[in-house]
Amino acid sequence: MKSLLWALVAGAVALVPVVAEAHGPTRQKIEVTREIDAPADKVWAVVSNFQDLSWIPGVKSVEGSGSEVGATRTITLENGEKLVEKMDKFDAAKMMFMYRAEADNIKFLPVTNYSSRITVKDAGGKSTVTWWGAFYRGYPNNDPPPELSDEAAVKAVTDLYNAGLDGLKKKVEGGS
Amino acid sequence: MLARGRALVLAGALCLLAAAGPARADEAFVTNQQSDDVSVVDLETATVVATIPVGGKPAGVAVSPDGSRAYVTSPEGKVVTVIDAAARTVVARIPIEGGPVGIVLSPDAAWLYVADWFNNAILVIDTASNAVVASIPVGRAPAGMAITPDGRTLLSCDRDDDRLSVVDLATRKVTGTIPVGTHPFAVTIAPDGKRAYAANVMSNDVSVVDLAGRREITRVPVGDTPYGIALAGTRAFVTDQHADTVTVFDTGTLQTVATIDTPSFPEGIETARDGRKVWAAAWGDDAFFSIDVETLEVADEVDVGTGPRAFGAFIRRTTSR
Repeated sequence: MKSLLWALVAGAVALVPVVAEAHGPTRQKIEVTREIDAPADKVWAVVSNFQDLSWIPGVKSVEGSGSEVGATRTITLENGEKLVEKMDKFDAAKMMFMYRAEADNIKFLPVTNYSSRITVKDAGGKSTVTWWGAFYRGYPNNDPPPELSDEAAVKAVTDLYNAGLDGLKKKVEGGS
Repeated sequence: MLARGRALVLAGALCLLAAAGPARADEAFVTNQQSDDVSVVDLETATVVATIPVGGKPAGVAVSPDGSRAYVTSPEGKVVTVIDAAARTVVARIPIEGGPVGIVLSPDAAWLYVADWFNNAILVIDTASNAVVASIPVGRAPAGMAITPDGRTLLSCDRDDDRLSVVDLATRKVTGTIPVGTHPFAVTIAPDGKRAYAANVMSNDVSVVDLAGRREITRVPVGDTPYGIALAGTRAFVTDQHADTVTVFDTGTLQTVATIDTPSFPEGIETARDGRKVWAAAWGDDAFFSIDVETLEVADEVDVGTGPRAFGAFIRRTTSR
């Protein structure tokens, strides 16, 4: 019964246009922070390169060019799913940038209307990196299935940020 | 007995204070979607004076013109919560079948209109009985609404149809539609009832609408992802959600006057009754802030609950003046 319901839901979702269109009524946000034992400018140099996601586990490739506002990147995961992201805001002085998904792909990440912000701050010679995300759940209508619920969306993005920042910490502190 | 006696004396003293004290400041009822409550903010001191649990991920709010009631939509809870604004208590819950988001009261507070995001309809609620008495079909994903000062006409942002629906409130029928920019989310009507301004979240502009002619006059470019519009004097203040700014434009010349940096993800915005400040929720920073309409700078900032939206008419008068 559950698999039948899931199949119906998946079918309904597949009919939804891929551009950021309809979404649920409750936007979610999460924030994950890591302290990294390296100067802020060194950490900033790594995270602000919009075309390098080698620090995030599970990313197979990134295609695109530039880190300026308007730059896009196509991320391909090891499972083959793709997401296109676009730089919205880039402030080197504040060591902050903001970007958003150009279109939803709930198989990449079970969210819609996803936007994100990464900030690096000096913490007495070390750095504090904050990864912030805003998004709606994957299912745009009422009564979502558990796989596309608010909770599932929050968990998926939280897991991504935790794994990504752990990878960033390892890359920067390891000096690679 | 002793404790009770003390409480009574205290209550008596408080009554005297209230009677003799100066007129109280207006308040804001700020819906906090993620913390499931409403922060009541005193606008004179810019402090939170009460927190009212609501549940169901509250988003929209409509405070009655006399300040007695606050109506709050909870799209996940599928309910409209009726709050006694002075007592800070929930007095009724009105179940809604779909996803209530936008909410607006008629000028005489007799009728409450709730946009059902999922079922593409405006629900009509009799505030005397708190019963849903009618449903008006509109376009897809209706969000923000506004009513003309004469109480005759309601505008609905049919977000996913890129248009406004014009609803005649006497017959409760759509009498026309007005194409606007991409994905209008919020609409505000000028005090003289001649123009409406719709914030188009996907085309990053504001549609200026001539209500008599029922047509869009022009679009004013604003910042990234405009979410709300407040009018103060001859200026419009537009929250640019993704840009973390408020764009100010002159409603006569339609030229941009200023772009003001604000706390993160500004959303619901309303002009104070004295017209000196506009107040807005900052969803990203869990803050509520004001902009001085003369200096065009952020004047107040107060921490509220998590994920404040304040989508609607959130300012409450506390006196009859």
